Amino acid sequence: MTQKLNLPPRVAEKDLADLYKQMWQIRFFEEKVDEFFAKGMIHGTTHLAVGQEASAVGSIAVLEDRDKITSTHRGHGHCIAKGAEVNGMMAELFGRTTGYCKGKGGSMHIADVEKGNLGANGIVGGGFAIATGAALTSQMKKEGFVVLCFFGDGASNEGSFHEAINLASIWKLPVVFICENNQYGMSGPAKEMMNVGNVAQRAESYGIPGKVVDGNDIFDVMNGVGEAVDRARNGEGPSIVEAKTYRWKGHSKSDAKKYRTREEEKEWRLKDPIERMRLILVVEGLLTEEEAEKIKADAKEEVEGSVDFAANSPHPTLDDLMEDIYA
Amino acid sequence: MRELTYLEAVREAMSQEMRQNEDVFILGEDIGVYGGAFGVTRGMIEEFGPERIRNTPISEAAISGTAVGAALTGMRPILELQFSDFITIAMDNMVNQAAKIRYMYGGKGKVPMVLRTPAGSGTGAAAQHSQSLEAWMTHIPGLKVVQPSTAYDAKGLLKAAIDDDNPVIFYEHKLCYKTKSDVPEESYSIPLGKADVKREGKDATIVATAIMVHRSLEAAAELEKEGISVEVIDPRTLVPLDTETIIESVKKTSRLVVVHEAVKRGGFGGEIASVIAESEAFDYLDAPIKRLGGKAVPIPYNPELEKAAIPGVDDIINAVKETVNRL
Amino acid sequence: MAKEIFMPKLSSTMQVGTLLQWFKDEGDSVEVGDPLFEIMTDKINIEVEAYEEGILLKKYYEEDDEVPINHVVGYIGKADEKVPDSPPGEAGGKEIPTETESDSETEVEDEDKEDVFDTTPAERSLESSQASADPAAKTEKPRATPAARRVAKEEAVSLAEIQGSGPNGRIHQGDVMAFAESHAAPKATPLAAKVAEAEGVDLKGIEGSGSQGKIYRSDVEGAKKPVTQSSPPAAASGKRVKMEGIRKVVAERMLKSKTSAPHVTLTSEIDMTEVVSMRKQLLGSIEKQTGLRLSYTEILVKAVAQSLKRHKNINVSLEGNEIVYQDSVNIGLAVAVENGLLVPVVKNADQKGLAAITEECKALGKAARESKLKPDAMSGGTFTISNLGMYAIDAFTPVINQPESAILGVGRINEKPVGVNGAIVLRPMMVLSLSFDHRVIDGAPAAAFLTELKNILEQPYELLT
Repeated sequence: MTQKLNLPPRVAEKDLADLYKQMWQIRFFEEKVDEFFAKGMIHGTTHLAVGQEASAVGSIAVLEDRDKITSTHRGHGHCIAKGAEVNGMMAELFGRTTGYCKGKGGSMHIADVEKGNLGANGIVGGGFAIATGAALTSQMKKEGFVVLCFFGDGASNEGSFHEAINLASIWKLPVVFICENNQYGMSGPAKEMMNVGNVAQRAESYGIPGKVVDGNDIFDVMNGVGEAVDRARNGEGPSIVEAKTYRWKGHSKSDAKKYRTREEEKEWRLKDPIERMRLILVVEGLLTEEEAEKIKADAKEEVEGSVDFAANSPHPTLDDLMEDIYA
Repeated sequence: MRELTYLEAVREAMSQEMRQNEDVFILGEDIGVYGGAFGVTRGMIEEFGPERIRNTPISEAAISGTAVGAALTGMRPILELQFSDFITIAMDNMVNQAAKIRYMYGGKGKVPMVLRTPAGSGTGAAAQHSQSLEAWMTHIPGLKVVQPSTAYDAKGLLKAAIDDDNPVIFYEHKLCYKTKSDVPEESYSIPLGKADVKREGKDATIVATAIMVHRSLEAAAELEKEGISVEVIDPRTLVPLDTETIIESVKKTSRLVVVHEAVKRGGFGGEIASVIAESEAFDYLDAPIKRLGGKAVPIPYNPELEKAAIPGVDDIINAVKETVNRL
Repeated sequence: MAKEIFMPKLSSTMQVGTLLQWFKDEGDSVEVGDPLFEIMTDKINIEVEAYEEGILLKKYYEEDDEVPINHVVGYIGKADEKVPDSPPGEAGGKEIPTETESDSETEVEDEDKEDVFDTTPAERSLESSQASADPAAKTEKPRATPAARRVAKEEAVSLAEIQGSGPNGRIHQGDVMAFAESHAAPKATPLAAKVAEAEGVDLKGIEGSGSQGKIYRSDVEGAKKPVTQSSPPAAASGKRVKMEGIRKVVAERMLKSKTSAPHVTLTSEIDMTEVVSMRKQLLGSIEKQTGLRLSYTEILVKAVAQSLKRHKNINVSLEGNEIVYQDSVNIGLAVAVENGLLVPVVKNADQKGLAAITEECKALGKAARESKLKPDAMSGGTFTISNLGMYAIDAFTPVINQPESAILGVGRINEKPVGVNGAIVLRPMMVLSLSFDHRVIDGAPAAAFLTELKNILEQPYELLT
């Protein structure tokens, strides 16, 4: 059977249904979290990636299991795409001992080091150097893994962006810096906060490739990132891939979104990455309407199940307060 | 036994570890053929090569974060910061990343790294290259803080720091680099959190760190001539702190003088004084606790002023006499 | 914020007050001026009134508890306010004049006149008298190191007795050890030591019943008996009453007066015929005016006041090395009360008529007997009258009520045969006994005063002018 779609070598057509399901898992997970925050069932704060599912799923789809990622404060999607269980994630947001961080990290710090998720990060730009360091490990120990470093348009204005990418480029480290450009750093429009149109243009000053992809088109993301990952794995050093996308929700739970128009939001909703993937899969005959519906329903059920799991999980005891601290 | 300088002892500890453990490597500015700003790594690149004696760009934010990322993925990096003043630039990675990761990830992740850095005044390097900022680091749960004063201690404590699975800030005092003591050739470890009684006495206890240990010993020798017997304790590690040894000594002598070079205001001396005030040693105190520390002023360039900004031997002698009512 | 209720300082000598009874319970609402509790001081019993309105939130002391002055006794506030569970000690809201303030008083007056004018002279004199007459308030807490305190506790020595060798007299461990060794005093509780001192008993001869031979008060008392009493302990039965409150103060003041002032007593017999007849004539009109019966005491007050006005060298007090000639004539009246003696004062008696004096004397006497005298009513006397005329007493030697310098003892009026114009007739006679402080007053001026008084009483109608 000839391939109907242009896919990177790591991704086969048979994998696409799974990726489609991951997108829905992310969508449902985020919407559930949004609902619980609104109801006051989850405390603290959270940053939702609704609308950005394709850049997370598409980027990670091209990785091998041994590869690693560093994530951001808007990291639930990366987690799910890197294979995290929604149960453990939801439990973490509920602050329970069954959460990925035993209830001590919360939304911004979900990590699964064993599975190669080196952690979300509450510090904007905090992941650049950590990803670079992980890539250094890969290079020094000749482990062959590649590190994906997710960051936003806002983080590209941090000093750590420059220092880390410069370092990764001179040492030719196997790391790919993925900019999920969702147009706003909190309330700051990217076009007002930097003097170049694309973050990817900045790659030139480090002597590395920089490529812009349609962040709402999972296929474009997979091809762009796939190329960069192959390059990194081949020892040719880092790249920047910039996925243009949009977050449907506000920056965090308390955001009146005064800095953008409802019309603009509506325009981007029409570019819904999940719907676009579904259309292509159905049109290309890789998925029937019924199968697509079933996948969606399954994803929803799994997320619903995670709520039960979280709600029925034990709270940490006060004895746990001083666990895992050594100094 | 042969004598080594403090600087040679630090180098020997690193070299011995690197011969044994492939995961240990050093990164830092000008540590390659230059041998480091103070010559600590001189000759090491010849033995271990540029892969493991990793010369970095002037990017403290990136190299500190890279050390965190490498440590998190299986390496045991030693980061040399050229001057401890530059920790300001590496602060985010030490405070928000390295110190937090193990706890924030629910114990599922570790950061075994050592940040070595020369501290202190006395070299005419003025305000931005002469500070003693260790108290900052002791305030952060998740960072161990080591401050050796002798060559013997430096070697043993550095081995313990490298072996530790958690981030350790290792302060080397510039004026100690040239001091000598007997150092065994074989590798040995001094446990973190064990103070050393550098001199026994019965009339007063001095707790001193780094270069002040030497000044206190000089003061103690002078005081001996006047019939005042002084016990000098070097905590060696501030976090964890060996409170027991200090408390027992104060119970014995009933008098405490704390001496450090760091600015007295907010300095670690306040912590030691508080430990005593809160402990059972309180009822044995026969004089107010005396703290000696640097004056609240940036370290000046003029040599006389520079000297006057921090405690000297005479200051220590006077402080002890005051506490024993012999002034 | 909840307001503190504190033990008021009602006299210059008052250190503690004994709580006699509460008039309110916790949770009761309180109006300003409501009596909250009754206390007994060294001088009087008095009701303490509320300065604040609200709910009585807390009572820290029970009846019969002794509370140091200015210590918080309770709180008034809103129903839901939180107050400490245990007595917080000294009240914060009320400032006591500190040593520094009183020491530098003159300086303050020079530098800061405005402030001085803000306080009334009475307030100022109260403050200064409190500060100067209160040696205990001046005593600083001893400065001592923790180690010194620990050893002092172990050795049962009082830091107050130790001279510190450190800066500002700070006591060090070595000072305590040296003191303990040199005194090698038997370990005794502070109370036992005090009792032993008062009784003149040497602690060294006493075997303590406490741990490590620590001596308690009972040990001291036990040791004292064989020495002071020849009869066996069985004879020592009988009710024992602790000297306290008014009794204790009377005892102290009498002793002090008798030991510090060389007393001389002059007596003179007065023919009271004219006073008796004048009283009879005035009884009706004064009763009409005041509803009260004029008594001899009031006539004596008026006569003494008149006499004092003319003999200013009797209306004096001794303060330090200075004789103070008092401007006003304030006559104290010794009133016997249940457990001692009180001396309310008729102020400016020389300027008051007999009716006014009658009213005042009656009110003061009643208040004294009912323990309701205000401290103010007992202060400022310049001369005291002690009347035992209601008993079968002719003459006696009264003890001066310091800081006054003289006191008049009044005997009964008794018909006696006396010679008048060569004939023996019965006349109502009364002996007056004047005790005076010979440090301040000599015999002649005292005699002149008493003679003047005799003349006034024998020709009393001038009292009506």
